[in-house]
Amino acid sequence: MNDTPVSDIETLLMACQFGDGQFPSGAFGFSWGLEGLVTDGLVGRGDLVPFILGQVDGRWSGFDRVFVAHAHDGAGDEAALCGLDAGVETYSLASAQREGSRRAGAALLGIHARLGTPGAAEFRKLVSAGKTPGHAAVALGLVLAGAGLARGPALALSGYGFVSGLTTAAIRLGIASHIDMQQAISAARPVIAALAQSPVLPIDEVSSFSPLTEIAMMRHGARSMRLFSN
Amino acid sequence: MTVSTEVVGAARVGVGGPVGSGKTALVERLIPLLRGEGIDLAVITNDLVTKEDAERLRRSRLIDPERVLAVEAGACPHTVIREDPTLNIEAAERLDAQFPGLELILIESGGDNLASTFSLDLVDYWMFVIDVAGGDDIPRKRGPGIIQSDLLVINKVDLAPHVGVDLDRMVAEAREVRGGRPVVLTNCRTGDGVDGVVRAIRDAVPLGRQTGKSAGSGSR
Ligand SMILES: Nc1nc2c(ncn2[C@@H]2O[C@H](COP(=O)(O)OP(=O)(O)OP(=O)(O)O)[C@@H](O)[C@H]2O)c(=O)[nH]1
Ligand SMILES: [Mg+2]
Repeated sequence: MNDTPVSDIETLLMACQFGDGQFPSGAFGFSWGLEGLVTDGLVGRGDLVPFILGQVDGRWSGFDRVFVAHAHDGAGDEAALCGLDAGVETYSLASAQREGSRRAGAALLGIHARLGTPGAAEFRKLVSAGKTPGHAAVALGLVLAGAGLARGPALALSGYGFVSGLTTAAIRLGIASHIDMQQAISAARPVIAALAQSPVLPIDEVSSFSPLTEIAMMRHGARSMRLFSN
Repeated sequence: MTVSTEVVGAARVGVGGPVGSGKTALVERLIPLLRGEGIDLAVITNDLVTKEDAERLRRSRLIDPERVLAVEAGACPHTVIREDPTLNIEAAERLDAQFPGLELILIESGGDNLASTFSLDLVDYWMFVIDVAGGDDIPRKRGPGIIQSDLLVINKVDLAPHVGVDLDRMVAEAREVRGGRPVVLTNCRTGDGVDGVVRAIRDAVPLGRQTGKSAGSGSR
């Protein structure tokens, strides 16, 4: 395949680097409701594939994906990014979800600012100054745009990160094996691929429907035993 | 690409070591001594399954509860201090922003094994706490925590006679595997020896951070 343009290979490598579970962005500290569902016996062994597909459909597709896409488009436009950020804050129901998203966003902006990714340090300053919350989806969209990743690959990376974060949490919660994890990611891959290339809703049509995980996150803060931040 | 060189804040000192070796007990003993020297202090804990250590420190009244932050490690105590210290770094920067003038942040790792080490992007200095009840052969096992830490603390010396540990031999072997780098003995029940930990920190760690270094190893 020596006729493949260099830029495609670079895109692939960039996606490998920033989508890698080893990329230091604090993702392993969050379970986004899964820990609570497992604790309450609502998700267990054998449930991983339907759970992941349900989360991709109910949460990532209509919510995270839309914010990442608009933040990618709006990279460099401070007012647009802050507007999106306010949207995530408003539409995230559980405080553990909002706080987790802010902390994950801060970690992502921190590492990209240190790596010199264009746009990261500027937006991080606004967050540090308390001018905007700095949610993960907005941070991801803007840093991937800054790094030079086109919107499609950026959305693919977002979907992959969403799924890999939940599946590795599932392993650490003891409800999945390494093989279960890979099977779940494989099951989600075509769905993510299709969504990464399909039109993105206008921001005022953003939606999410995942009531059990949201309730699980609402209950999370009060639990005394917990491995994850949400 | 430009490289960020900002970041001015408190010095950061890591406290790592196996489960139950006395990390929180040591932090509880260090707080009054460090504050007694007029040091503006805060603490981050990386509890494994509960917020117990953070709550214990907050309830202790040794320090303003707002100055104690808990960072959940998602069952990965070593990841959060080494491979991906970003959550701890962000927590430290939050403390820096919230308490201008902050000079020192103690970061207690979740209990781990002898191989755990701290990223030098996260801390300026770190100690590894083991206890005599773990056996006097621990230093000989040469884990990276034992070898690479800036300071090795051997805690619970009061238990040595009860668990058949030859303390002199344990210390000699610890010094040997560490190539003569500092080893301190403590009893965190009584506070004996903890002043040695304070001196080691004071000798090695300039308080506060003057300027950020450029990105790369040792920077943050
Ligand atoms: N006899 C004796 N007991 C000690 C000493 N230091 C701590 N302990 C006891 O050892 C137990 C564990 O101490 P912690 O300070 O909670 O240990 P830790 O390393 O923070 O534990 P994790 O955070 O769970 O890994 C407690 O019961 C302490 O009271 C000591 O010097 N002597
Ligand atoms: Mg402890």
